[in-house]
Amino acid sequence: MQDFKNKLYNYETPPPGEIWHNIAKELQIAEEAEDEKVVKISTHRKSTLLFYGATAAASVVIIFIGSLFFNKNKHVNPATNIPANTNKILAQKIKDSINLNQRILESIIHNPKEKKEIIAKNQNQKISKKYLTVANPEGQPVKISPKVATLIISADNGFPPKPVWNKKISKWQKIMLSSTVSPTSANLIDLVKLAAKNDNIE
Amino acid sequence: MPSESDLIKGCIEGDPQMQKLFYDRFSSMMYAVCLRYSDNTEDANDVMQEGFIKVYKSLSKFRAEGSFEGWVRRIFINTSIEHYRKKVKLYNVSEVQENTIEDSELNALDSLATKDILNIINELSPGYKQVFNMHVIEGYSHKEIAEIMGITEGTSKSQLARAKSVLKKIIETRINHAKNNR
Repeated sequence: MQDFKNKLYNYETPPPGEIWHNIAKELQIAEEAEDEKVVKISTHRKSTLLFYGATAAASVVIIFIGSLFFNKNKHVNPATNIPANTNKILAQKIKDSINLNQRILESIIHNPKEKKEIIAKNQNQKISKKYLTVANPEGQPVKISPKVATLIISADNGFPPKPVWNKKISKWQKIMLSSTVSPTSANLIDLVKLAAKNDNIE
Repeated sequence: MPSESDLIKGCIEGDPQMQKLFYDRFSSMMYAVCLRYSDNTEDANDVMQEGFIKVYKSLSKFRAEGSFEGWVRRIFINTSIEHYRKKVKLYNVSEVQENTIEDSELNALDSLATKDILNIINELSPGYKQVFNMHVIEGYSHKEIAEIMGITEGTSKSQLARAKSVLKKIIETRINHAKNNR
């Protein structure tokens, strides 16, 4: 039984010659069809490239306009436009600002009547001192006028001795403590309202 | 002569010379397969052409997980079955219990020349011939035959039993004919 199986399995007989011609012809047709397909694909690719090119160009325009707008905004708020490599310069500027703050505060404390002149004099400096920056109770920087700064310093340190002011401040503190809505010392409007209320009481 | 892998590579790249060499390498072997599965030489020629086109197109899918010749042969067998199914609708026949024909009863075929064996097998009806070729010669299981031919395993077994029975009768007739001629 095995013998006839092997005979049949391994049997070989040459096919008629025309078969290869037909196969070759069919392969050639398939090849041509494939080429046509490639041409079609390349046309499609062309339109795809155009689409992507247009998208890229539009993106560039949007980014350009966006950057202009962004830079404009940056100009309004110079603090956000500080390059990373200028950290040292910035640190120095902050240090200078703090020193100047301190100097102005001391000058005002010693000569409270001439505070306008002191401010005007210091405004000529590179760092503008229309307002002074102090730390609020939460440690955040708050810009206040020199006038308010003297009040706060007086309240905190009791220096220089200002009996009238101290008296007023201690009254304000009592009012603030008894008030259900406590004004904060960092808010100028609160202080003004408080002063007006105190004047009315007096 | 280029190696098998060179032939495959060349055909995938669409090199006409390599395609011809590939054809020369496998055509005789596969034409024999086509003849075994077809009713006549015309059908065998059609299957041969269709099979080679399929092989050329599918070469890139060959994963070298088995013998390449086996892979090519399988494509030709499947093409033969498809070709046959286009012509004849093979109905699932009732799974009648056939008298089991032992393979040993077909041993008389061993003494015959291959062409004569082919002639005897070609006397089988197409359905019987397909199943006989696939199971006995190619070694497919009934499950595989059922999947390829779209029939049940039971039908495949019945077809094989009937094919063997018919073959046995053909062999007996031939032997008797030969005896009478002496």
